[in-house]
Amino acid sequence: MVRFKSRYLLCEVCVEDRSSLLLLEERAIYHAVKNAVARSHGDYGAALLILSYGVKYVNAHTGIILIRCRKSHYRNLWSALPFISCLENRGQKVQCSISCLHVGGTIRTCQKFLVKYSTQQLHRMLPHCRNEAERDEVRRAVLSCSLEKERDVEEEEDEVEDDEWEDE
Amino acid sequence: MSGAKNRMRNKKMRDQPGNVTYSSPGWRNGGETSAGRAGEAQHVKGHCLPHQGGGWVRGHQSGGSVYPQELPKYITSSYFARARAAEVKAMLKAVNKRTGSCHTFGALPKHMRRRAMSHDTKRLPTRLREGAQRMLEKSLLTGKKKEESKAKSRKARRRHGNLLLEFNRRQRKNMWLETHIWHAKRFHMLKKWGYCLGDRPTFKCYRACYRAMSSHCLLQDLSYYCCVELQGPEEELLSALSRLTSKDAGPTFAAVQCLSGRRQGSVVLYGSDQYPAQPLGPVLFLWRPRSESSTDRQLWIWGHPTLKQDLLSELRAVCQCSEAVVPVPVTVPVPEPTPAGAAEAAAMPPKGPAHKQASSRKRKRAEQDSDAQPAKKIFGDGTRSPTCPVTWKSALTGIVINDLTMEIVRYRLIGPLSHSVLTEALCPATDCDVEAKKRQSCFWWPEHSKQEQNMALHREQTDVFQLLKGVYSSTEIPGGSVLGLTVDDPRLTLPRMRCKAEPDLQQAIGVDEEKRRALTLQGVPERCCQSALWDRNVRDNATDNKITEKELNRMRSELLVPGSCLKPTPPQGRVPVLLVHQPGKQLGQEMPSWGAGWDLLLPKGWGMPFWVPLVYRGVRVAGLQMSVKHSQHKGAPHFPHDFPDCTAGARFQDEQQAELMNKFTRRPPGKRTNYIKHGCLAPFRCPWQQLVEEWAEIVKETGEGSDTQTGVETDSVPPRRFSVLRSRKVMRQLSVWCKPSSSKGQRLQRTTQRAPQPISLCPATAVSLWASHGHSLVWARFSLLAKGRPELHAMVCVPTDEDLRLLSREPRCMGPQEPLHVDHFRKRVKIARKAKKKKGGKAKEASVEQVVGSDGVAEKQDSTSDPSQRPTEQPSSVPALTQTQEVVSTPSRTSDGDTDATPAVPKASVAPSDQDPSASAPGPATEERLVLGLWPEPLPSVTSHCSRVTLGWVTQGDFSLAAGCGEALGLVSLTGLLHALLRQPPEQRGLLLLRNPSSLQYRFAKVTIEA
Repeated sequence: MVRFKSRYLLCEVCVEDRSSLLLLEERAIYHAVKNAVARSHGDYGAALLILSYGVKYVNAHTGIILIRCRKSHYRNLWSALPFISCLENRGQKVQCSISCLHVGGTIRTCQKFLVKYSTQQLHRMLPHCRNEAERDEVRRAVLSCSLEKERDVEEEEDEVEDDEWEDE
Repeated sequence: MSGAKNRMRNKKMRDQPGNVTYSSPGWRNGGETSAGRAGEAQHVKGHCLPHQGGGWVRGHQSGGSVYPQELPKYITSSYFARARAAEVKAMLKAVNKRTGSCHTFGALPKHMRRRAMSHDTKRLPTRLREGAQRMLEKSLLTGKKKEESKAKSRKARRRHGNLLLEFNRRQRKNMWLETHIWHAKRFHMLKKWGYCLGDRPTFKCYRACYRAMSSHCLLQDLSYYCCVELQGPEEELLSALSRLTSKDAGPTFAAVQCLSGRRQGSVVLYGSDQYPAQPLGPVLFLWRPRSESSTDRQLWIWGHPTLKQDLLSELRAVCQCSEAVVPVPVTVPVPEPTPAGAAEAAAMPPKGPAHKQASSRKRKRAEQDSDAQPAKKIFGDGTRSPTCPVTWKSALTGIVINDLTMEIVRYRLIGPLSHSVLTEALCPATDCDVEAKKRQSCFWWPEHSKQEQNMALHREQTDVFQLLKGVYSSTEIPGGSVLGLTVDDPRLTLPRMRCKAEPDLQQAIGVDEEKRRALTLQGVPERCCQSALWDRNVRDNATDNKITEKELNRMRSELLVPGSCLKPTPPQGRVPVLLVHQPGKQLGQEMPSWGAGWDLLLPKGWGMPFWVPLVYRGVRVAGLQMSVKHSQHKGAPHFPHDFPDCTAGARFQDEQQAELMNKFTRRPPGKRTNYIKHGCLAPFRCPWQQLVEEWAEIVKETGEGSDTQTGVETDSVPPRRFSVLRSRKVMRQLSVWCKPSSSKGQRLQRTTQRAPQPISLCPATAVSLWASHGHSLVWARFSLLAKGRPELHAMVCVPTDEDLRLLSREPRCMGPQEPLHVDHFRKRVKIARKAKKKKGGKAKEASVEQVVGSDGVAEKQDSTSDPSQRPTEQPSSVPALTQTQEVVSTPSRTSDGDTDATPAVPKASVAPSDQDPSASAPGPATEERLVLGLWPEPLPSVTSHCSRVTLGWVTQGDFSLAAGCGEALGLVSLTGLLHALLRQPPEQRGLLLLRNPSSLQYRFAKVTIEA
């Protein structure tokens, strides 16, 4: 099968104050990136980006975003990312920088990378913990990074949904 | 997005993580507590309840502007760790879960997929096995009903008895010929006329079949032809049958050669005492030679299955056979209904049972209950009910009518070498041993050969048959000769390899020269035409005692030398056959007796044992398509395609119209031919009746017929039904008139014409012909002068003087072109379609259609006036014709508003009061039938619609491989033809124009009437 191939850029929004990260929104990123590309590559570059450009995933707690663009022009986007210095949302301007963690061909590979990256980050957090409570929290978080327990629940859900469809 | 699509999408996106932001709409419910817990909750929610506005919809969401909860005031590292963990969990789930397809192995990479994975879960990797097992169980649960419906295993179904049962069941609607399975493996099969017939082979062999026909041998199974047997005193039979025929149309049943049984004859039957109206169709007939023992004669009439019902009822009427002899089924305990009376027999389809079939059917039904007895293969007609009478008797005349449908197998071999195929495949029956003769035998041949006179006859027939080996071509034998014979089972002499039969002329030179000359000059002597096939008991005996294939193979395996010939021939291995010569092209000068051959008649049940040996002699097998082509090359009309005046022909035309219409509407509207623009009124069905009436009108209006009293006569007589001209005398006259009187033509004329001085073509003779055969169509052949390939329903038109002059200037010219017509119906069709789309209620629809209808009448009037104006605008050289065109178009213009079926009826005959009620009522109905590119039902004048006057239409047209140019066969109006011929200069007489329905190009063609 023939498809339009895309590149997915897995990026992390770095801010000084962690709480301002919660202002992160899909729309703000969308416009910020578009403007940055337009500034550095001109109208032509912006127009190339618009083809199948999209923000696929935003996590306001961790600052992870996933941007999609055409495979042929992803370099335009990539090179424009460092020029984003602030994101504007709800009338507030937040100074930030966007660093690209991973460039993948599918969402799935990006997700896989993210799993690896996040667990690594959690492990790194452990020695920096200041008190015991924090340490416990982080440990618990690390331990919960697995799917084993949830599987049974999901399967039940599956069956319920399947039955519903059959009834229709 | 549709519901199903939504569902699929939801299922696919179920496991994908959504956005985690403070403004997403999914956030609203659970955001009261601390941010860290909220984040987790969001993730869990993300997979529990996939909502439409999830993270996979590009751009911002509509709910984004609302901020229901405050942002947290502070943030800790533990909160961040939890957020990370939640995200990891979500991502893990997204990565690990399958997407899209619900099959477990969709998650597997392609190189790890294995065959039959869904069936056997052990082929999957262990980690996926559990899920796959669940899926399998689920699918088994749903598919359980289907599993139960299959009663028997494939092996059981393929077992011989069960297979036969299945075959018998499948033949109930459409009968199978004995060679059906052979054909079904190789042919495109058609269900036609109550039979399953092969149309054409699946492999490419069109040209090869033509070559076989013209230089070797082509084989066809014609067993679907119906045979009716008449028995009775000769005079009674002849007097009864003479009512169905006329001497005017050629030799009848009483022709001397045929009556003696030496020749097979062919004749066109008419309704009793109805000639020339109500034709039934063409039949072949064969008299049994007179025998010394009885005075009764026996006659077989072979007809097409579509003809059979009409034929039987007519025969019963003329022979006064009202007494139906109800056959008594032998082993049927079921109470039978009372014997059907004559009226009842006439009402229900008079099919007849053979006793054997009846019992086998019963047995089959019984078996479905008990499953005890094996099925028996049905030979002959297995579909008719056992109570249907097959025999009718007449106490008055002593005639017995017997329906022998499917009782006799008929194979047709076409081609010059068909006799050598026969002589090679068949070998005359060998004599039985002496001791076998002494014993009483239940087989027919030992009994038959006991009588010395039978043996003498057999030896005589064998001699004649051996003579055939030395004949160069089948065409040398006089047409229609009959040879009776008894042959050995041809399976015994089956060659190991397929070979090609060639005549052995070297060996035959010098031997029996005189006898062979006598054979080719006088035909088969009368004594040799006798065959045991005429005897019903012999036929049944031969059928019942056929050696089965299994038995034959056992005997072969017991031979001492494997592969050697089986000797002596088993006593039941003799079959009575009848060889009937089939004359080829008899009329016309070109390719005389092309397509001659032999017909092989066999008792039923012997179909396959003869078929395979014939095929092994290198013949080519063809189907229905080739039989049409055969008659086309012969220039003969093919039943039922070219007999529009017969009921069967009319029925065929209906079917053909429906089929063509179906084919037309299957194309997208933009790709269909717009026949209105091409000036083609009836591309799917030729309006013969209208054509004939219009020509009668034209002749009357131009004043050519009016000077005699005939014009007055036709006025008073109600419009007669058209008929096809079959009178030999008139045909012969016409064929002479059609020829150009150039030097070459005259020479031909002189050589062929038997009459010393044929009546020359002049207005007076034409008028007398119009009077007698005004409503006739003539069968004619058209061969194109230059290139072009005529198609079905191409128009035959009269060239103008201009065209003829053009042709004489440059003989290879393309021919004139028809100006493009204007499609006035286009707008109406569009409006109607729009109204159909828009219509909400019924009241609205009705009002729209009324408006459309009133518009349509106005448009239609100027559309019909167009063609009549066009000739006057052009500088036409035939003033008489333009005048007629205008005259003819007047009545059609007046009758346009109504839906009268005959718009060409003169104005005077249609009273204006009749028009008004009919105009209002069927208006919406006609609107419904409006199809873009086709004229709606009341056709305007068919003759004057185009710039050239139409004479008739082509019913068969193709590039003729035999003639090397485009050739067409069709029917033209006799009146129109004479009208056109009278106006043509003598050296260019017989030149007409042909135009295909989907083309504007006229092509010159020469018309030939072969008589």
